[in-house]
Amino acid sequence: MPFTKFTNLDFDQIKTSIKDYLRANSNFTDFDFEGSNFSVLIDTLAYNTYITAFNSNMIVNESFLDSATLRENVVSLARNIGYVPRSRTAARASISFQVPTTTTSQTLTLQAGLVCVGASDNTSYTFSIPENVTTTVSGGFATFGSTEFPIEVYQGTFLTKQFVVDGSLDQRFILENSFIDSSTIVSYVKGINDSGLGRQYEQIDNILNVNSTSETYLIQEVQDEKYELLFGDGIFGRKLENGTIITVTYIITDGKEGNGASRFSFQGTFKDSNNNISIPSGSITVNTVSSANNGGEIESISSVKYFAPRLYSAQYRAVTSRDYEAIIQQIYPNTESVSVVGGEELDPPQFGKVLVSIKPKNGDFVSDFDKQNILLKLKNYSLSGIKQEIIDLKVLYVEIDSSIYYNSAQITNVDNLKTTITTSLSDYASSVDLNKFGGRFKYSKILQVIDKVDTAITSNITKIKIRRNLKALLNQFAQYELCFGNKFHINSNGYNIKSSGFFLSSTTDPVYLTDVPNKDLNGNLDGSGKGVVSIVKKQADGSYRVIVKSAGTVDYTKGEIILTTINITSTIKSDNIIEIQAFPESNDVVGLKDLYLNFDLSNSKINMLRDVIASGEDISGVTFARDYYTSSYSNGDLERK
Amino acid sequence: MSITRISRSFKDISLSFDPHPVTKDLPILKNESAIRRSVRNLVETIPTERFFNSLLGSDVRSSLFEFVDYGTASVIEDQILSTLSNFEPRINNVRVEVDPQPDINTFNVNIIFDIVGQEFPTQEFSFILEATR
Repeated sequence: MPFTKFTNLDFDQIKTSIKDYLRANSNFTDFDFEGSNFSVLIDTLAYNTYITAFNSNMIVNESFLDSATLRENVVSLARNIGYVPRSRTAARASISFQVPTTTTSQTLTLQAGLVCVGASDNTSYTFSIPENVTTTVSGGFATFGSTEFPIEVYQGTFLTKQFVVDGSLDQRFILENSFIDSSTIVSYVKGINDSGLGRQYEQIDNILNVNSTSETYLIQEVQDEKYELLFGDGIFGRKLENGTIITVTYIITDGKEGNGASRFSFQGTFKDSNNNISIPSGSITVNTVSSANNGGEIESISSVKYFAPRLYSAQYRAVTSRDYEAIIQQIYPNTESVSVVGGEELDPPQFGKVLVSIKPKNGDFVSDFDKQNILLKLKNYSLSGIKQEIIDLKVLYVEIDSSIYYNSAQITNVDNLKTTITTSLSDYASSVDLNKFGGRFKYSKILQVIDKVDTAITSNITKIKIRRNLKALLNQFAQYELCFGNKFHINSNGYNIKSSGFFLSSTTDPVYLTDVPNKDLNGNLDGSGKGVVSIVKKQADGSYRVIVKSAGTVDYTKGEIILTTINITSTIKSDNIIEIQAFPESNDVVGLKDLYLNFDLSNSKINMLRDVIASGEDISGVTFARDYYTSSYSNGDLERK
Repeated sequence: MSITRISRSFKDISLSFDPHPVTKDLPILKNESAIRRSVRNLVETIPTERFFNSLLGSDVRSSLFEFVDYGTASVIEDQILSTLSNFEPRINNVRVEVDPQPDINTFNVNIIFDIVGQEFPTQEFSFILEATR
């Protein structure tokens, strides 16, 4: 028997192989019996082989970025292609405050370290600054920050670490804390002739334009999510001399936990120009310019595996849309998903332009300040002559209207079952298939999710709606265009488009949008795939009256609604939102181009219905067809409910 | 290569590993002595002791710390019987006699069995079970 199957990872199969070998090549016979001495020997041999095979398998797996599972190895492999995984990022808040002081000093310095304590969800978080901030004293007050130029404080604890360079080859400069926000690391190097903390070195992420005297250092993640500082070797970056003292300050943070903190109370320390501690002469009230946001966790292993090769292929240049995806993730760690559309793909084309949509991890919109920062940083990577524009997120919501049949004999509480279904759907709603640009809502998957929640569920009839929110410009004549990116289902009678109520200057009652598909002379659909949007009003008797017959057009094929000039005065939904829904032609909904697909569970309906046939109450199906019947098609109502 | 079986007898290796005084070969156990050794191995193996075969063995060890009386002896008998019927297909007509010796805190175990398919007389062997710690 050829004994060549070295890669076997199953103990029993290894044992069988050894037995087969012995059966053919040995005088012994008892190895088949578990009690025998030989069986003990075979078990030992097989276990040894198993461990060796497992180890080889692990070693090979851990040698490649695609298959490595341990963070240390993934990070190390990504390092080979020049990728530094993102650290945990501290939530940042903007504040300003005035300090009453009696000091005679002309300046007052807010010391690096603890500045204030902010509260969020009944939990307090400390906020620090990584470097000193100095301001002038005028009229007995020192003003730190303003509404336009606030001070940015970082959620976390400020720490200091000192190293003395001993000149040995194996000395490493490792910061002994996990949870560091690497962007807050500040290093000072004090040579023998320097005073104070020494000279501040600059943190860099590549060795472009670095020479033998550059005062720079690189960082790399090492084991247990800690960071190591790498100083120059005299060729790339200034070499450290023996006896040099390195002082490193950094902030360890709670990451995304700190998001949302506001209501700050001051805890900082001041020093005057003579480096003496200065105590404020009165209390300090902190003015919150913006509450803490943009805190994030350390980059996950799957993210490192995904982005490391992409950033490498981007080579620090934003050319293709994949490059943007990798680079934006680096320069704005709060990114959950990015969509990049070249201007040439737009209708009409806008050459030389790149439109970028970013979905932040918390919230739907990127602030104007962050947008400017991202664009500024993108300039370092992008081609000259190409203009980037960050556009606000366009969310395409998918809603379901699901009638779920259950066998009442198998459950005790239908509310519990409904809660379990909602939980399962909510898990699916946060899955990676959805919630991204280019995402796809898969109809068959959602049916399965519902059916598999409990054996008591016998079937479900689920209808799909797609919705976009139109933000109305109140009391202004404006035109609106809404793209759904998905073909609409056409019902020749209309009622394909429904909206929530809104008010026009000419009406006191709420009005709604509806549509009438274009028809030929015989009253059949004319095949153009287009229609007219009308505005209707609900009458006291429940019927509808047309207010504006032709208020716009609808392109069912493109999934596009255009409203001609109207003046909306208010909306029934808050935040000036008009919800506009349509029925997609395909139950699988796609997030096209810059549309961000979101499964909106809060606006979805779940109706629990007894399956009287399955529970045995109704053998003939008569009661079922009469009382528990559900249509698979939409209702004929004009109004969105 | 065709498989040729030299003997239908049972042949096992001895874990004493004492070489034969003349031939210097490793010692082997044959037929009834191989089976006796196997029975002892099974009784002395603690379940979960063997890799990937957690059920193999008997749990008599845990009974040794009970009272040395006929109740415990009966439990040990059952454990040995079920272990042998599960893992030793070469024997049948198994009888197990466990005799408690309360004065010296031990159980005398006597196992009597026939070997299946071989012309050997009924086998009997004894050993002592004693809590040593």
